[in-house]
Order: sequence, then structure tokens, then C-alpha cells
Amino acid sequence: MKEMQFILMLCAAIVTASCDKPVDYGNVSVGIDYSINGNHLITDSLCYHNEAGNAFMITEIQWFISNMELQNEQGEWTPLEHREVDNLLSNPTDKIFYIDTNIPESQTLLMAPIPVGHYKAMRFTFGLDEDDNLSGLFSDMPESNMFWPEPLGGGYHYMKLNGRFVDADNELIPLNIHLGIGQNANHTEFYQNYFIVEGPIDLDILESKENLILLNMVVDNWFRNPNLYNFNEFGSAIMQNQAAQQALKENGQDVFTWAVFKETNEKDMKKEEIFKKLRHIMQGAAPKPHYWRWENVKKRYGIDKGQDESDK
Amino acid sequence: MNPTNKTGFWLLSIVLPLVFAACKPEQNHYTPTPYELRQPSYFPSKNNIPADNPMTEEGVALGRKLFYDARLSGRDGTEGIRSCSSCHHQENNFEYGTPTNTHHAMLPLINLAWNRTGLGWNGGVATLEDMVLAAVTSPVEINADTNQVVKYLQKTKDYPELFEKAFGSREIAFINVERAIAQFVRSLVSADSKFDRYLRGEEQLTEDELTGYELFCTEDGADCFHCHGGGGLALMTTNLFYNNGLDDEFNDPEDRSAITGSHWDRGAYKAPTLRNIAVSSPYMHDGRFTTLDEVINFYSEGVKDSETINPLMHHVMDGGVQLTDTEKDQLKAFLNALTDEHFLNNPDYSNPNH
Repeated sequence: MKEMQFILMLCAAIVTASCDKPVDYGNVSVGIDYSINGNHLITDSLCYHNEAGNAFMITEIQWFISNMELQNEQGEWTPLEHREVDNLLSNPTDKIFYIDTNIPESQTLLMAPIPVGHYKAMRFTFGLDEDDNLSGLFSDMPESNMFWPEPLGGGYHYMKLNGRFVDADNELIPLNIHLGIGQNANHTEFYQNYFIVEGPIDLDILESKENLILLNMVVDNWFRNPNLYNFNEFGSAIMQNQAAQQALKENGQDVFTWAVFKETNEKDMKKEEIFKKLRHIMQGAAPKPHYWRWENVKKRYGIDKGQDESDK
Repeated sequence: MNPTNKTGFWLLSIVLPLVFAACKPEQNHYTPTPYELRQPSYFPSKNNIPADNPMTEEGVALGRKLFYDARLSGRDGTEGIRSCSSCHHQENNFEYGTPTNTHHAMLPLINLAWNRTGLGWNGGVATLEDMVLAAVTSPVEINADTNQVVKYLQKTKDYPELFEKAFGSREIAFINVERAIAQFVRSLVSADSKFDRYLRGEEQLTEDELTGYELFCTEDGADCFHCHGGGGLALMTTNLFYNNGLDDEFNDPEDRSAITGSHWDRGAYKAPTLRNIAVSSPYMHDGRFTTLDEVINFYSEGVKDSETINPLMHHVMDGGVQLTDTEKDQLKAFLNALTDEHFLNNPDYSNPNH
């Protein structure tokens, strides 16, 4: 009996010891940027053509990304959540990020520390899924300015991409690529147009480092593959055009590329420092002040090969 | 220690504390009561109340008295006196109600506690406190000398005590005039229109009002919501700045581009809240329209294209959203449902000197 007691105590001690094993965590942040035809996005400049031949310019891009997760070698997914309650952006949930080209601070996503180790894949939701896309979720701007009217399905715009394009009459007219819940003509049926993006990543999260991921929106890909998206066909505004929403949803699958920044970054970098660093990476490699090419960035900064435009 | 010394020691130990107590500075009895700002559940959670000017019952009450008091001019009636309320009329959404000789029309003084994008049509005034200073000293508004205002108020029987209660000193400083009036203006909350009751599930809109709301917030309808909110943005404004296609030439040196320096902000102005819009005439930054019908007709057929028109004005190539007469009536019915009679008649916001 005594022996049994001893064995039980020993087992308990071993179990307790294994439970106490501390897990190390490392910081990770995600920098957001945009490219068109391989060049860094310049807003308010009529210098782009899409695959359908429409000349266009972009004024602003405002969008939501949510449920970002990294997958470790064991196949487990770890959520990326806000590191801190941001003073500027009012995210009531931990896994929704609002990103706005008018708000530079919004383009650096500081994540809560995650367990150290190697991660092999990343996934996220473009926009907001059914569980998150609830009317009234955000009461403060800028997020609340993204609301999607109840008669059109409610919730929030996944994205507002505003600009102008040259139409068939050679007039420069407004372009509002607004994505969100779609609806039929009578507004009696609604369609979820968010989508999930998933792909490989080669990311080592180190305890002592600020680990940086660069996430790039390849804007021209919205209008390319598999659907040739012609602005003249779909017009200036598409909130009530499910065919346009569906085409963009399908095209969106290859809009995002990402890579890991391997240069040493000290842990406990201040937000401003991380922001500056990411800006520097994204813009500093530019052959001209306003242009950067993804390939040049990778070469210059030793960025790991990730899913990117050249892989396609 | 001999007995005499002992006695001296005890005497000292009794007297010294008394002396120190007497020398202790006079207790300050300045204990204002925190003001509880009404916070509708569907309003923003973040406000613009500055850390150095928390709202208090005493501060709001003082601000209200000052708002309605022509002694804020710092001069007597022979020279022409004005108060904030000379132009900001409660029944007109705290606007004037008719065109004025100011260089721009007024913006309503409502729900500004939640405005975080600057004040005025171009957003150039950072805080309500600054706005008070600007209004008091502007030659086309109160046109006062702040030193004279302080001197004048200091001589009155009632104000020194009210300033002491609100800010802890009978010595009046103009910064506290600014703070008090800013507190009162932040207390002006409009959240009881029929549309509010609809949002709270307390009252149904009529069929015309509902159709008007659908027109209001659909791209293929009147497409107002991108700038003027709706159920998901109940302030009924984004508080952002847009060129809405009023003109195709821009000569105003005080549009939004004056603040940002951006060419793309030529002709852009703040989207005003549409709460109480029916009683907020004149309309647009220059007050060019006097009726809601004129405004609706403009958005329906009168929008002008220009290089800097906001991309959200995507109906511009048709000259506007092209509403039928019935749709115009329905849209107007919805806009009328934004009138908040409770706010416009709220005794807490009225002249306390009456």
C-alpha cells in the first residue's frame, strides 16, 4: 500500500513538473503595404492600368483583416491578437484589425506574444466572417465609418477602395470598390463575400526578437485572375451588385503575399520604432522615392522566400 | 532636566502643534461634482473631453450661464453686446436659423463631445475651448477683448463665486471661461429623435420614413450614408471632410485644403450631422440653400464634377442620384424623423437667466 502511495506521489510530482515547464513567447508584428504592377502604391495619381485596360487611380484603401493565425510544425494554429488596446483604433475584439491608407499607424499590427518556435503556415480572413460581422460591433470611428447598411445585409464594409477611373467616354469618374455582404435585387437573400487566405510561411519566432512579417496587398490582382474585372462593365459602385462582389471575392485569393523579415530586431522595440522600421523596409529599398519592388526589398534586406508574386 | 525645564518641555509640546496647525494653509473647499455625460449605447465610446477640463456640474452650469450672457462681450450695451446665444439658437439646433454675416454658415452645436476631427467647416479648430476663444474674439462674432471680458465678469456679483465653485478660484481667468462654455457645449446631447426611438426599438417609422431610410443608405438610392451615417453611425456624420460637388471652381481660402495643404481637399468641408437638419437652415458651408427641398434637389440633379470631387460622389456623371418626386418626399420624411423635439426644447439647455 505504501509502495502504491509512493508511486502515485512520484507520478503526481512528474506531472506537476511537466505542467510547470515554462513556455517562452516572442513578439510578432505585421506590416501592411500595397503594390500595383510590382511598384509601391502611390495614391491620388492616375498612373495605373488594370488587366482590362482601364486607366485608374486610388485615393484610399480601408479594410478589415481578422482571425490571423500561424500554424506550427505540429499543425496547431495560434491566433494573432492585439498586443495592446490601441489608443487610436477601437477594436472591441482581439482578432479584428482595421487598416487604412489614411492612417499610417493602422498599417503596423502589433500582435500579442506567441509561443517561440517555427511556424510553417499563415491564414486570415479578408473582411469579417458571420461571427464577427455584426452591426453595432464598432461604436467609434474610424471603424464605425465602415458600417454596411442594414438593408444591404448589415455589419461592416470588408473594404473600401476608392479612386477614379477613365470610363468608355474618356471621362475620369469615381471608382468605389466596396466589398461586404451581398444581396439579391429584393434584399431578401444575402451572401457572405469574405474569404479566407492561407499559405506557407517560414517563420521562426524567437523570444529575444521582434519578429516582423510583411503582408502586401497586390492591388492589381483584384482585377485579374480568374475574372477579368472591367470597371466599365461593373461601374462606379458595386455594393448592390453581387456579380461584381463575387468576381472580386474569387479574384481576392491571390491578392495577398507575405514574407518574413529576418534582420535582427531587438525585443521590446517601441511601437514607433517598429513602425519606422517597417516603413523603412517597405520604402527604403525603393529605386526611386515612391517606388519599391518586392524583389528589391527581398534582395536588399535578405527577406526569406515566402509566398510572393514571383512564385506565381 | 530640572522641573522648570520639564514644564517648559511640556508647554512647548502643546503649543508647537497649535502653532503649526495655525500656520497650515487654509483648507480648500473646492469639490466640484463630476458631471455625468449622457452616453447613448449606440453612440461612440470615445469622447473629446480633455484631461485638463473634466466636466463638472458646476462647470456646465457656469458655462450655460456664460453661453447665454451678453456680458461675455465685456462691454455695455451702447457698443453692441452679444452672447453665444445671440447666434446659436436652441430651437435651431444651436445654429442661427437664417443666413448671417459670418463668412461661413454655422455648424450645429450638438453631440460635439464625440467629435474628434476638429471643429469648423475645415476642421481647423482643435478643441471646443479654442473655439470659444475664436468666437469671443472674432470681429464678426462677439468681437470682444478677453482682458476686458475677464475684468467685466470679475466686477459682477455672481460670477466670482460661480468660478470658485467650478474652478477653485474667485480670480477669473479667460481660460476658465473657455473651459466652462466648452463643458456646457459638450453637454448638448441629441439622441431622442424618432429615428433614435426606432433604433432603440421603441417606435416604428412610417412606411415613407422607412423607404426614405432605405434610400438614404443605399448606393443605388440617395447614397447619403457614406458621409452622413445611419443606424451604424448614429451621430449621422462621419465628421470627415468631402467635396460633395457643390461647385466646380474653388476660391475659398478656408476650405479643408487650408488645413491639410492637399490639392485633393479643394472644395472639401466637414459633413455636418443631419440630426435636427429640418431646423438647421441655411444649408451647406456657405448657406446657399434655405430649404431641405433645395438640398435634396441639389443631390438629385445639381452635383457638379470637378477634379477634386470626392470619389464617393459616384453619381456625379448623372448630375446626381436622380430621385423621383416620390423618392424625394420619402427621403425628406426620413430626414424629418431626425428632428429631436426633446433636445430642441430641453430646459437644461435653455437660458438659465430667464
